[in-house]
Formats: sequence, C-alpha cells, structure tokens
Amino acid sequence: MTEARGERRTWLTRRGFLIGTGAAGAGLVAGVTLGRPGFHRFVAGRIAQVLEEGMEAPPDDFDAWFEITPDDVVRFNVTKMEMGQGVHTALAQIAADELGARWEQMDVRRANTAFGPQGASTTYGSFSIPASWAPLRKAAATLRELLIAEAGRKLGVAPDRLEAYRGTVRVRAEPSIRLTFGQIVDGVSAWPEPPEDPPLKDAARFEYIGRSVPRIDLRDKLTGVAVYAYDVQRPGMLYGAVARPPRIGSKLLRAAPGRAKYMPGVHAVVIDERAGFAGVAARTREQARRAVSELELEWSEGSHASQDDIEALLVADSDACIAVARRGRGERALGDAPVVAEYFTPFAVHASMEPQAALVDPVTREVFVSAQGLERCQEAVAQILGVETGDVTVHNCYLGGSFGRKTGLDSGTEAARLARATGRPVHVGWTREEEMRHGHLRPAQRNRLSATLENGRIAALSHNIASGPVLFPSFPKVFAIVAGADPGNWVGGLNPYRAIPHSETRVNTVKLTVNTGAWRGLGTLANVFASESFIDELAALAGRDPLRFRLDHLDDSPYGKRIRNTLLTAAELGDYGRPAAKGRARGIALSDYHDTITAAVAEVSVEANGEIVVHRVSGVADLGLVVNPDGAAAQAEGSIVMSLSSALIEELTVKDGVIEAANFDGYPLITQRRMPQIAVRLLESDGRPRGMGEPMMGPVAAAIGNAFFSLTGRRLRRLPFTPERVRAALT
Amino acid sequence: MQYLERAKLGLVKLNVNGRDVEIGDDYADGSLLWALRDGAGLCGTKFGCGVGICGSCTVHVDGRPARSCLVPVAAVADAEITTIEALAGENGELHEVLRAFIEEQVPQCAWCMNGQIMTAVAFLRATPDPDEDEIAAALDANYCRCGCYARIRRAVARAAKALRGRSDD
Repeated sequence: MTEARGERRTWLTRRGFLIGTGAAGAGLVAGVTLGRPGFHRFVAGRIAQVLEEGMEAPPDDFDAWFEITPDDVVRFNVTKMEMGQGVHTALAQIAADELGARWEQMDVRRANTAFGPQGASTTYGSFSIPASWAPLRKAAATLRELLIAEAGRKLGVAPDRLEAYRGTVRVRAEPSIRLTFGQIVDGVSAWPEPPEDPPLKDAARFEYIGRSVPRIDLRDKLTGVAVYAYDVQRPGMLYGAVARPPRIGSKLLRAAPGRAKYMPGVHAVVIDERAGFAGVAARTREQARRAVSELELEWSEGSHASQDDIEALLVADSDACIAVARRGRGERALGDAPVVAEYFTPFAVHASMEPQAALVDPVTREVFVSAQGLERCQEAVAQILGVETGDVTVHNCYLGGSFGRKTGLDSGTEAARLARATGRPVHVGWTREEEMRHGHLRPAQRNRLSATLENGRIAALSHNIASGPVLFPSFPKVFAIVAGADPGNWVGGLNPYRAIPHSETRVNTVKLTVNTGAWRGLGTLANVFASESFIDELAALAGRDPLRFRLDHLDDSPYGKRIRNTLLTAAELGDYGRPAAKGRARGIALSDYHDTITAAVAEVSVEANGEIVVHRVSGVADLGLVVNPDGAAAQAEGSIVMSLSSALIEELTVKDGVIEAANFDGYPLITQRRMPQIAVRLLESDGRPRGMGEPMMGPVAAAIGNAFFSLTGRRLRRLPFTPERVRAALT
Repeated sequence: MQYLERAKLGLVKLNVNGRDVEIGDDYADGSLLWALRDGAGLCGTKFGCGVGICGSCTVHVDGRPARSCLVPVAAVADAEITTIEALAGENGELHEVLRAFIEEQVPQCAWCMNGQIMTAVAFLRATPDPDEDEIAAALDANYCRCGCYARIRRAVARAAKALRGRSDD
C-alpha cells in the first residue's frame, strides 16, 4: 500500500489533481478540439485513479494524530466527519491496533481546522477507511517505534528485544519487564528524529482491526449530550432565516425590509442584492421565519420547466454521449440489430433527518456547521467575514445524516452574512421545505443499454448514461471542460463482466434545470438498476439462468474471482435458485462501487393492488478487509433500506419551475411496515480495505426488478416500482 | 427597537422533566419543539420536518407521546413534559430502552433516535409484552433515513424483556 502512494503523490489531493491536469492543460484542451480518439477515456481513467487511490488522504505525521499523556491516555485526534457511518470508531481501531494501545485508553477527539490532522476532513465516496488506512497506520507505527526506543533507553534494553502490547512496551522474552505508555512519555519533552519507514504490524496480529468494537459515539448521541450543528447555542446568539426564490433559477433583483423590520423579535434585516441575499436575524427561529415572509422581494422570472421538459433533456443516444471506458472495439462491435432497452431513475432528495445548519460567531470567528468537509467552509466563511482563512476555526460537529446533502456551503455562508451584519453569533437551521426545494437533488437519469448476443453469450455491450452534474458543481469550471462528462455519473456504470470481448460506457452530462449533485453512491443506484436489469433481460433472451449467465461472463482475474465469490455467496445466503413459496420469486444483481463488490438477492410477491412486497433482501459485500464487521454490516443494512425506499417509493417531480413536494407528505420515506427480512454477509479477499458507506446502494433495486420479472415475466424499467406502474406492467 | 425588546422580557413557565423551566416569552406563541430546544436548551428533542410526520421531535406530554413540533406552547402550560434527557439519570444510569439501543448498536447518525426511543418508552408502558408486528406498527410513524429499522425492532424487543424482568423482581 505504501509503495503505491509514493509514485502517485501528485494525484493525492483535489488541488494536486487540478495542478496535474493544469500542467498539461494546453494539450488536453487541444485534445477536445481535435476530437482525438480516446482522449476522454484517458481523462476518465485518470479521474477514476484519483477517486479510487486516496483523494483526501490525511497526512501521516504522528504528532498531528496522537498525543500521549503521563496519566496513560492516548489522545487520538480523528479527522473525517461522523455522519452515522461509524468512521471515528473504525479509525480509532486502526490507530489503537497499529500503535499497540489498549482500547480503553483511547481518548478520541474530533480534529477541526485548528488542531489535529489537517486538510483532509472532507468525507465522501466511502473513501475514509481506504484513504486513511496507509497514512494513519504509518503515523501510529512511527509513534510506536519512538515509544519503543524511549522505553529501551529507560529500561536499558535494546529496542529490538521490545514490543508494544496493549498500552505498554515490554520485553518480548520477559513480558513482566515493561513500562506503560504514560511512564514512557513522562519527562520526555521532545522526540528524536522519527524513523523513515516504520515496520507495519502483521495482519495476523491485529487485535482491534476486524473486531466489532462498539461505536464510541452512541451513548452521547442517545442521551442528548452529543452536539450536532443544529444544536449549537452561544450566549447572545440570534436565529437567522433567509428568503428563497419562488421558482427554480429565480434570482433576487431587488429587496426591501418592508414590514419585516417591525416584526416581533427582529434584530436586523440584512439585504445584499449583489449577492442575491435577503435574510433576517431575530431572537427566535419562528420570529425570523415569519419576518422573512414579510420582506418585499422582486425575483427574476426563473424557470417554468415541468417534468416532461426536463426528462426530454436526458438524451442517451450515443451521439450525445462521450466514451469514458472501452474494451475491445466497444460499441462499434454491436452490429446492425442489437438488443436495446432504456431505463429511467427519477430525481430524489437525501432527506437526511437533520436539515443543514450552521452557527457563525463573528467575534471568536468560530463556525459550527453540518458539512461533509471543513476546509471549503472555512475559506468561504473567512471571505464573508473579511478575515484570513486561518483566523476562522471550523469545528467538527456530528452530522444527523448527509448522504451527499451536506456538501454545499449554504447554511454556513448564510449564517456568516447575518453574523457579520449583526456582530452577534447567528444560527441558521434550514426547514424541511428548504431542504426539499432549495438544496440539490439526485439527478434524474436515463440509461440506454445495447447488446449483441451470439450463441447464448454477450458478444458486445454498451451502456449510455444521460444524467445531471454530480461532482462538477464542487470543482472549478475548467474541470468540466477537460473531463467532458461528470465522473459521478458513471460510478457503478463500468462493465464488470470482463469476459465480454467488446464493451463501452458512454456519458452525457446535461444540466437539468434544477440543481443536482452528490447523493449516496452517486450514479450507482441508477446505473446498476439499469445494467443489472439488462443483463437479466439478456439472460432471458438467451434462455439461460440469470446467475449462471452472469458467472459465464466473468474473467479469471482476481477481480473476476472476487465477483464470482460474491455472487455465489449472495445466491447461497438468499436461497437463489431454490424454489420460493407460492406467489413469490427471487432476483439477483451485482454491483461494483469503487472496487467494493456487492451482490443482492431479493424475494418478492405482488399484492392485488399492484404493491410489490419485498420479503427478504440478502446482501453480500467483498470489501477486501473489514475493520469493524458490525459497523460495516450496519452500513450495508442501511443502504439496503435506502435502496428499497428508492426502488419502491421515492420520486421527486417538477411542475412549472417548482419542485412539487415540499415536505414528507409529498415525499414519503419507507417505514417499518415495509421492512423485509434483511441478511448481510461480508467477505474479505486481499487484505486491502475498501469503503462500505455506499456500495450496497447498487444491487437492490435491480434485484427487486429481476425478482418481479421472474415472478411475472414483465419488466419494470422505471423507478420507483409504484403500484400504478406495476399494474400497468401487468396489463 | 430597544424598547420593544425590553417590553417582551416576560417569561413562560413549563414543567419539564419534573422541574419548572422558565423560557423567554418570545416562545409563548410558538411550538413546544423550539421552546424546548432553543428556549430551554434541551436539544435532545430533534427537529426533522415540522409537520408531525417524521417523529424526530417526539416528547411525552402527561405521559403520552406527542410530536412537539405540532404542540403549541400555550397548550401545555399546565402539563408535565418529559424529554429524552430524563432517561439518563444524574448518576449515569440509563433507561432500559436506551441501554437496549446501545447494546443492539442501533443508531447510525442518531438524529431520529429521540423519536424512536420516546415512542418506544411510551409504547412499552402500554404494551409490556409486544410481538414483532406490534413493535413495527408502534414505530411505523418514525422515519429513520439511515435505515436502522431492523435493529430498532430488536432493541425494543430486548428492552421489553429487560423491563419485564425488572417488574417481576
């Protein structure tokens, strides 16, 4: 792991990547204009490499991560945002293990922009564990070697005869001769030069890695002690509310305080027409919101688009797409009469239960914000307050869910504007209506798949993806020009069946009127719903068993073997291929999200009213190495539930330039009543950890659709599978 | 402005977790949710939707579960209000339902858990020996976006057993 990092250092950070492309910028842009074949595939390959090999990898300097006190406490300054995925626990397990600490002596502190590992708080893509694995272990191993050296000095024993063990350094042959970490650091004022390449612990000796250590944050969260950004309070604080546009794309032209000034509790009306901002700071939230509705505002017309207009933008023809991946001759090998099918996935919201929120204190220059990363927010707030970036401290708050929602800067910059104008700490907490109508959406997506069958096998396969921007909004505009297609769009959309001689993935990233952006798994749910439904359709056309058909198209590489094992384990766990109870059937599907392989088996029946009942979902994931089995399983379980909600219920639509649903009455989520029996099994393969926060978003929707096909012989190609669509498919 | 602010400095009294709590009368015409959170600093009660659907803001009013986002402060002036903060004793002892939620490692982000737990506590008081369907039905109106539903059911069943064991003693 360490060797791979060295040579790719220029690709490790977002900035590094942009500098990298910038250096070759002229050539690359020429590539676009010349339409050089393969250009976008080259860029896409590089982007995939960046995404998968450690963007936002934290630093490996041990003194940023650790501090050991003479009273035997190991302070562990953990970076990354805890939004429910248990990452602080998992990182602490890695740290304690490599350091040789006792779990009970670990004091986990959330690093912020003022202390602890810097520059890598951004938490996304299920990359926290894979990206932190090598640098964190190196930092812990470095400190462990220093502790051993110092213990050797104090004990008068050669360091090579010593080992770190559960918070002590002891003589290997005589374990009773030992010093605790506290005794070792007592009196040490400075460490000597740390070793360059400290040895890493042998995996066979892991004590905490691979164990279901209980989550460290649950007690505080359950007793109301844990502080989320929505909970932050400061003496003398005010509450802010902000005017929202009446239609998608409406811009604020003119604003006047109107009656808002005189409303009860109002402290200040803040208007900045140039920034398109009008807001109120008041003594309570409800006062601020009531006052905002009394502002006199003039907005530009904005969009009158409706759902059909937007869906018409999603063109998945090959001519509209650019190639991002190709094997063999790609789509040119399809021939004249390929099998073609189109699938559709609608807009969705994140619905994280905590809407976004922030408090900005303009005097202490502290920020408490619900954000998946702290650094961008620090920069943006500093700019508004008119101070140096380094003068602003952004705290690491717990997030009440995110799923890609809290990747923007909205609440932080809004609180900053109001705080600057009033000179008081201001808290802005969004309402559910604001979250639904004024955030960003999972893009609606159209996938067109084409294939040619020869002798019961797939000879050529192409996958065209038309979707909205997902990662582009977080990058400078030049990135979109160079990349051509949004890398978030094809996540989960690359063909895992490498024995198919010719395959291609093409992408058309198109602005969809509404703001679109990151959502758990990015394109994975939509792409895998499409591709794995299609594979099932091909299996049916070829007259083959869907599982055997899949296995027949895998290659013999380690990658192919991991997929085979995952599929077969899922089949076993979910009784795929065994007879189901009367009126029920099972379906299977496979997914690869950034090299975490997942498969799911769903068992369904259909009610007379067209409601699909999902009775069982069995999910299997190969994540290489599992740090915390119960924590990883919880992520898989949660993703299965979120996928079920997307597959069966969730759909957001636009009418006359307005998002139709405003709250959960118009956009319900799945509840206890529709919960199937869920089973999860985790597989380890090559000793290298992959992420688990998102991968299981891939296979569930397709598994349900495939089960429905197996039951009824009818194919559902549009999510969600509502009773109306099911009834239509059955008639 | 200053004059107006001073004129509003009255106080509203609520009985929360067995104590009298004074809240600025800015909260008098608002909902119980914001009076508890922003007025009294009891942030264990969470805001999720503001329209009584998600259940994150559930508290007990005279022992019965209520969606505090829909409860006007004026309506509970004489009521006994219980929030999740009351489930952890000052000596650190936890209510059986909280313990069961930790033992089953239920929460992920935990934002909705206030509602799950306050609903479960009231449910188990009325239904000490529930079957799985009754548990699912009782908690069907509490959203959990992290998808912890199966673990929630397991924890409520576990808590029911622990609570029954207690009353048998």
